[in-house]
Amino acid sequence: MLTAIVLLPLLGFVLNGLLATRLGGNRVGPRFVSVVGCGLPIASFALVVKALLDLRAGGWAPLVEIAYRWALIGDNVFEIAFYFDRLSAVMALVVTGVGSVIHVYSIGYMKDDEGYGRFFAYLNLFLFFMLLLVLGRSLLVLFVGWEGVGLASYLLIGFWFHDLANARAGKKAFVTNRIGDAGFLLGMFVLFQAVGTLDMDRINAAFSGPTLPLISASLVGVLLFIGATGKSAQIPLHVWLPDAMAGPTPVSALIHAATMVTAGVYLVARMSAVYLHAPEASALIAVVGVATAFFAATIAIVQTDIKKVLAYSTISQLGFMFLALGVGAYGVAIFHLVTHAFFKACLFLGAGSVIHALGGEQDLRRMGGLARRIPLTFWTFAIATAAIAGIPPLAGFFSKDEILWYAFASTRGGSPLLWLVAAATALMTAFYMFRLLWLAFFGRSRMTHEVEHHVHESPLSMTGVLVLLATLSALGGFIAVPHFLETQLPLPPVDGHLHAYETPLLVISVVLALAGLAAAAWLFGGTAERAERLRARFAGMHRWLSGKYFVDELYERMLGRPLAWISDRVFLRFGDRALIDGTLHGLAAIARGSAAVLGRLQTGSLHLYAGFVLVGIVGALLWSWRHV
Amino acid sequence: MDRTQLLIGVAVALFSLGLVGVIVRRHVLVMLMCMELMLNGVNLSLVTFAQQTSTTVGAVLVFLIFVVATVEIALAIPIVLLLVRTKRTLDLGAYSDLKG
Amino acid sequence: MIETLLGNANTLLLLACCAGALAGGALMLVLRQPMRVAMALIATMIFLAGVYGLLGMHFIAAFQVLIYVGAVMLFMVYVIMLLEVRESNGARYSRLLLPGAAGLLVLLFVLAASVWRPLPSPKGEIGDAGYGIAAFSADFLGEYWLLFELTSVLLVAAVVAALAAIRVGRQAAERRANG
Repeated sequence: MLTAIVLLPLLGFVLNGLLATRLGGNRVGPRFVSVVGCGLPIASFALVVKALLDLRAGGWAPLVEIAYRWALIGDNVFEIAFYFDRLSAVMALVVTGVGSVIHVYSIGYMKDDEGYGRFFAYLNLFLFFMLLLVLGRSLLVLFVGWEGVGLASYLLIGFWFHDLANARAGKKAFVTNRIGDAGFLLGMFVLFQAVGTLDMDRINAAFSGPTLPLISASLVGVLLFIGATGKSAQIPLHVWLPDAMAGPTPVSALIHAATMVTAGVYLVARMSAVYLHAPEASALIAVVGVATAFFAATIAIVQTDIKKVLAYSTISQLGFMFLALGVGAYGVAIFHLVTHAFFKACLFLGAGSVIHALGGEQDLRRMGGLARRIPLTFWTFAIATAAIAGIPPLAGFFSKDEILWYAFASTRGGSPLLWLVAAATALMTAFYMFRLLWLAFFGRSRMTHEVEHHVHESPLSMTGVLVLLATLSALGGFIAVPHFLETQLPLPPVDGHLHAYETPLLVISVVLALAGLAAAAWLFGGTAERAERLRARFAGMHRWLSGKYFVDELYERMLGRPLAWISDRVFLRFGDRALIDGTLHGLAAIARGSAAVLGRLQTGSLHLYAGFVLVGIVGALLWSWRHV
Repeated sequence: MDRTQLLIGVAVALFSLGLVGVIVRRHVLVMLMCMELMLNGVNLSLVTFAQQTSTTVGAVLVFLIFVVATVEIALAIPIVLLLVRTKRTLDLGAYSDLKG
Repeated sequence: MIETLLGNANTLLLLACCAGALAGGALMLVLRQPMRVAMALIATMIFLAGVYGLLGMHFIAAFQVLIYVGAVMLFMVYVIMLLEVRESNGARYSRLLLPGAAGLLVLLFVLAASVWRPLPSPKGEIGDAGYGIAAFSADFLGEYWLLFELTSVLLVAAVVAALAAIRVGRQAAERRANG
């Protein structure tokens, strides 16, 4: 059954890919594509629910299903096996559930696109690989899924590839991911060397047992985290995610908000037994996570593209998740992952709805006053915004507050400094999200005339999904995910003295959220002139933030240009042209030269030929003296 | 030096003279005649050795060489005639069409 | 005494014939006019026939004169007369005169050195051959009958080829006359 969960989307990919694209001759119409493309993920979701019920019936003992023996090398067996326990259940539900609704949304969003069939094929392919990732038992299967979602991401970012910028963004995403994968592979090698298997449940058991394997758990932890950095867009490999917004909005929602980017979080949570013995690695994760969160939030404040704001927001929220992982609160990180999937997907899809309503406009400076024109989109967007800002009792409040609490009080690395930075980030989160809300939906309209004319509410396939996701964002906090996962991912012990701070910190969180709301309303409400004056006063910092701290330019100068130089000078001019081509040309020149020389023997003069006969006779006789 | 060596020496000398004659002379017909000289040299050596045995094998071979020489001349002359008709000279230095 | 004299005379005659053959050969390289060269060659051949005869192979000597001189050289002389109209003022030697002369010396030396080794002792004395034309013919038509037939085939082929050459020549002449 687990195999069926994984293979159903693959079937969708094959069917749509072969029949509905130009490759197959466009044999089927959009209705077939929609039915197959959405129906199969929904079927997968149903099967996941059934698997969860089976799991519960079996007393929560993990379900293991071996699908295929991949390789037998010496004494080592590598299988394609699937593993279903509580953590897998949560992840699979999110992936298939949120994935299915985004598929349904795409029916409306991509309706008039000529690559309709190809889009759904790629989406199904992505779902297949993501399910491989979350359901795989061994790190090898996970890695296959890891690479596969990278591939799907590349295909989907560059979906409208006739625009070269989109193709370049896709390439950037893929290459950046690959850099992280080097660390991931090294981690896998070290683990295999030390433990002798790549099955994650067995690795966890080895690290939980009485004697630990003879390697540095921190080394493994750091290497695996490098891989997670690439996939989940943490510093320094975060540069691909904002560029990935070039893809269609459902792609941004599914891959770059809800599921793919959370793969790194899942990896660390799954390998929690290793990280429990790796305090240095955990400290590194916490610091990188909170730094990324802060850093991305500062950039998000000044972004003018609606999707870029959400992209930096995603990076920031992922930083929060890694912060939780770093202080040992693995279950809380997964909880935030789930709630984030709900409200971030809702936000992205809502942004897509806005873009759809405005006929393609994405710049915030040319929006405004949309609240009354597209009310359904507005209300769902507002609920999701409140959720991410952390306003109780919506979902984001619960998960974010838990993270802040454990960042402060966990005995496995929590500190007030971490809490402080995280709290500042939470304040900025609230601020820039409400800024987004105000600029897009309130105030006077800054739209151009033709755009304003055509503003219309999105079709039911899109708004229905928005309503569903908004509901989940509102009520999702009450799903006690950390408690559910506690048997598997225990919550970290909390310093006893700090219990007194629990309620005050809670209050502070709420206050910060409301403060962000107030600041945004004050600055951006009405004509937003106060914001303009603020910008004028801090013009330097504004330029720095708008330029995203010029990280891309730094990479280009430090890495891009030297590599290009080496590639041109060393490999192209020297290696390829001089050495390889030169050798071949040289050989040809030798042949030509010797042919020219030998050709001079043929003078056409019979006398000379007879002379050669004489020479030959003499030579043969002389030779015969020696050998006869 | 006994007879055999003398005769073989003469045969060798005739052969060399013939070969060098092909190299140095310019006239086509003279070159053909030098080739005949070569054949004669070979014939002499064959006869010398054939004479030393009591089987007739050597003599048969000599006879065959006679036949071959006849046939060769019978064909070489017409070819030369045809060539001469186009170029109108018997000087072999003018025939270098196969150059290169 | 007569025997030694006769023996000596035999050797002397042999030497004379060899010298004559060599002289004729050398003359061939030097004479300018082709007709004279042909005469030198005929002289060489006749001297060689003399050598064959002195060796006791009388029938081969006869064949030499009959076939070689009587047919081959005759044909050659005929063609020389056909083609010769005061063409004797052409150059005598090719460009390779000096290399050719050097090559002659080298070749002579090498050939002589190769040959001048202890030859296996003759199985019989010269003049001891003990077979004449009768034995030769019997063997030729008996044991070596295949070679005999092949020679006839060869001669037929030569006739056909000569006819073909004549035809080619005629066609070429016609083309030249018309075109």
